[in-house]
Amino acid sequence: MATIVTIIVFILFLGAILTGGYNKELMARFRSHWLWDWITTVDHKKIGILYALGGGFFFIFGGIEALLMRMQLFYPNNDFIVGRTFNELLSMHGTTMIFFVAMPLLFALMNVAVPLQIGARDVAFPFLNALGFWLFFAGGLLMNLSWLFGNAPDAGWTNYVPIAANEYSAGTGIDYYVLGLQISGIGTLIGGINFLVTIINMRAPGMSFLRMPLFTWTSFVASALILFGFPPLTAGLFLIMFERLFGANFFDVAAGGNPIIWQHLFWIFGHPEVYIVILPAFGVMSEVISTFSKKRLFGYTSMVFATILIGFLGFMVWAHHMFTVGMGPVANSIFAIATMAIAVPTGIKVFNWLFTMWGGKIRFTTAMLYAVGFIPTFVMGGVTGVMLASPPADYQYHDSYFVVAHFHYVLIGGTVFGVLAGLYYWWPKMFGYTLNEKIGKWNFWLFFIGFHMTFFIQHFIGLFGMPRRVFTYQPEDGLTLINQISTYGAFLMAVASILLVVNIVYSYRHRVPAGNDPWDGRTLEWTISSPAPFYNFAQLPRVRALDAFWHEKMNGRKEMEPAEPLGPIHMPNDTHLPFVMTLGFFVSGLGFVFRSNEVGVLGLIIVILTMFVRSFEKDHGYHVETDEIEKTEKGANA
Amino acid sequence: MEAKVQQNQTQIKKQSSESSLKHLISFGWMILLTAVAFAAVALNIVPQNLVIPLILALAVVQVFLQLFTFMHLDFKKHRLTVMFMFTGIGIGVICAVALWILV
Amino acid sequence: MSTAELEHAKTSAGLPPHPERATMEGRNKVLGFWLFLGAETVLFACLFGTYLALKGSTLDGPTTQELYKIPMVAAATIILLTSSLTSVLGVLGLHQNNYKKLMFWFGVTVLLGAAFLGLEIYEFVEYVHEGHTFTSSAFGSAFYTLVGTHGAHVLFGITWITALMIQARRRGINLDTAPKFFVASLYWHFVDVVWVFIFTVVYLMGKVG
Repeated sequence: MATIVTIIVFILFLGAILTGGYNKELMARFRSHWLWDWITTVDHKKIGILYALGGGFFFIFGGIEALLMRMQLFYPNNDFIVGRTFNELLSMHGTTMIFFVAMPLLFALMNVAVPLQIGARDVAFPFLNALGFWLFFAGGLLMNLSWLFGNAPDAGWTNYVPIAANEYSAGTGIDYYVLGLQISGIGTLIGGINFLVTIINMRAPGMSFLRMPLFTWTSFVASALILFGFPPLTAGLFLIMFERLFGANFFDVAAGGNPIIWQHLFWIFGHPEVYIVILPAFGVMSEVISTFSKKRLFGYTSMVFATILIGFLGFMVWAHHMFTVGMGPVANSIFAIATMAIAVPTGIKVFNWLFTMWGGKIRFTTAMLYAVGFIPTFVMGGVTGVMLASPPADYQYHDSYFVVAHFHYVLIGGTVFGVLAGLYYWWPKMFGYTLNEKIGKWNFWLFFIGFHMTFFIQHFIGLFGMPRRVFTYQPEDGLTLINQISTYGAFLMAVASILLVVNIVYSYRHRVPAGNDPWDGRTLEWTISSPAPFYNFAQLPRVRALDAFWHEKMNGRKEMEPAEPLGPIHMPNDTHLPFVMTLGFFVSGLGFVFRSNEVGVLGLIIVILTMFVRSFEKDHGYHVETDEIEKTEKGANA
Repeated sequence: MEAKVQQNQTQIKKQSSESSLKHLISFGWMILLTAVAFAAVALNIVPQNLVIPLILALAVVQVFLQLFTFMHLDFKKHRLTVMFMFTGIGIGVICAVALWILV
Repeated sequence: MSTAELEHAKTSAGLPPHPERATMEGRNKVLGFWLFLGAETVLFACLFGTYLALKGSTLDGPTTQELYKIPMVAAATIILLTSSLTSVLGVLGLHQNNYKKLMFWFGVTVLLGAAFLGLEIYEFVEYVHEGHTFTSSAFGSAFYTLVGTHGAHVLFGITWITALMIQARRRGINLDTAPKFFVASLYWHFVDVVWVFIFTVVYLMGKVG
């Protein structure tokens, strides 16, 4: 079946390449269609919106998976969803939420805001930016296809061997995990490199590193974490793929292998991964809190330093996920101390946010509500983290609901609140109108209350002895009432999420132009129109200080001084090649999942061919002439 | 125009013909380091417990030679690149050593 | 003069001494590639770690001391090291705006790379005959994954450089092709650096035991 599909795709691909489109009229209609515009775009602002749509799409999957689990756990000995299916739900929930919801939503914010904050016209590699998005989407699609074909991954988001090896997990389930993550992982690595080069090389004149906004700094450090943190996952996924598909023996003890290798590789990736998803959220907090306290961020330099330290230490602590594996007291102690050390720079950041608010003129917009709600919530997650960091204590907590409570507090209280704050904050810059504040407040409070209801009690579920990743418990365990409270909370969160969608639709229908600067902002993105013109800046701005825009405002100026004369702007061309290359990877992944090496290799050939087509392309972009720039600027300011 | 091209070329040639020698010298050192490593193992001239640290050290020296001569890396001009490469090497060493001793 | 040489003569008068860094795109490509090499360093480090953890698990097969063919490895090392030199001489040709020099030295690099690969394939075939295969033991899997991944990188490199040479024949050295050659040579040096660690950690350490 897969072979037939692949052959058809390959023929279409060859046809497209070789004929160059023989029906000129049809081709012209295709090329001017809005869908083609979005498939071929290399504009970071559009790609940011695509990431947000993708993340939102997979959030529905991850959310339903969560609700189904909570429904199963409503009664002891419930038989709603049991056994393998429950394992599939919990594995897919975790994997989807981290890789296909949290990361893309953060990439959405980074794509939308970072080039604007540094005064650049796009990212360093617009082609790769598009490729990164499509690869993420293809990976997520591939993994979720497993639901359709009967066998979703069921070994947890951590996919430990030996349970994930062929002997205990025959069939395609785990292969969807391996190939899906490998493909989207390539996309993420590409995105990380892109933002690093953009931030290093493309800042506006006058913007030294220590004049960059905090969101850009945290995106920078997170991108460095991606750069160094994803290769171990790539290596581990290759090892597991070779073992499952080609008979290799890395983890099989009978053949001399060792399953702990997977654990190390996974967590050497896994721990930086959670810092990757939290640092940009911290960045959003810094922007939102300073803007809506009408006060500059307290302790900018220490914030930068703390961010870098968190990034660096994040690579030294991975084995705190492996305290009970038997590494011994010396290794355990080293990792325990390093883990507790991370609390210090994080604490510095929390205090700096509080000191920023102190004495400020605070406006409780929805974004600010999320930011203020983040502080106690994330701190709670942080302190339970310090509890878990002690190996002897962790011997009790490990694999219980206490851990589940901890990481949901930091992931939702940190990352999700950060994403939602960022969404409300930058929505006008993306779409030209703000989201409705009244619905926003309902969205926040229902989500906040629902979240605490769901997860606060899970600390106690864990302390009372319920292990994680189990599909039921006994009536005499005394866990029934608290599980039910948790389930009610989850449904409240679902209602809040629906309200967000309601807000989006309502605000679109009743939209009012927001203007350049609806929040009286401090950073460069607020100096241009909302939404931004496709070239971002008609003239690159001259940056004189930290909080570049605020500095100009405080000196009586309404706009930034240009750093260059008005002239033709060079922009990159749209291209369909990232989409085609992703198709190749997708076909290859499908092929290997269905254990067809021919199809797998075929997909890779498509990828390599597309790379060569791209290399030989003489694509020098196009120029936007001055009269068009002036017209666009006038139109935007009308 | 032809004359200017010629002039340009001779100028540039003068600047880089020295570095051609520089690369050949680097290459010479690399061959030497490689030969010493092979010899240390094949000829049993180094005490057993010192061989492995020695050949690892020789490899590290050769890597730095590659980075800073062949790959045109410059401590002063390319500070950020140097920082990132060193960080990558550092994390790499941590990974490799961790897998070696903890597994 | 060929088309490329004509093209090249037209532009070479105006080409700066470091053409790969003369444009924003060029600088971005060079930095981006260095960062990618940083990531690849970590990737290979993980494969090295896995190999070090599993190199003792030979089961009934030959041990590292018995198996490795050091003279062959020495020959391969010299070949790859020389190819690294020739690639930097090619970059010198790039900086000197010397099309012929660029093409010659990169051509030699490709040939040496192919020779290295041929030798390595021959070596692997020998090992397979001696019972050391990808699936024979944990040691086998780790060895072939590490050294094989390196070999795959060599193969990709020679394909890439060949494609670039075809491009240069049509378009000469200009501000677009210059960063591509520079970046490809960075890749090639990196591949050689990894080999330095492979012959040290896998083969030499394997011989010592």
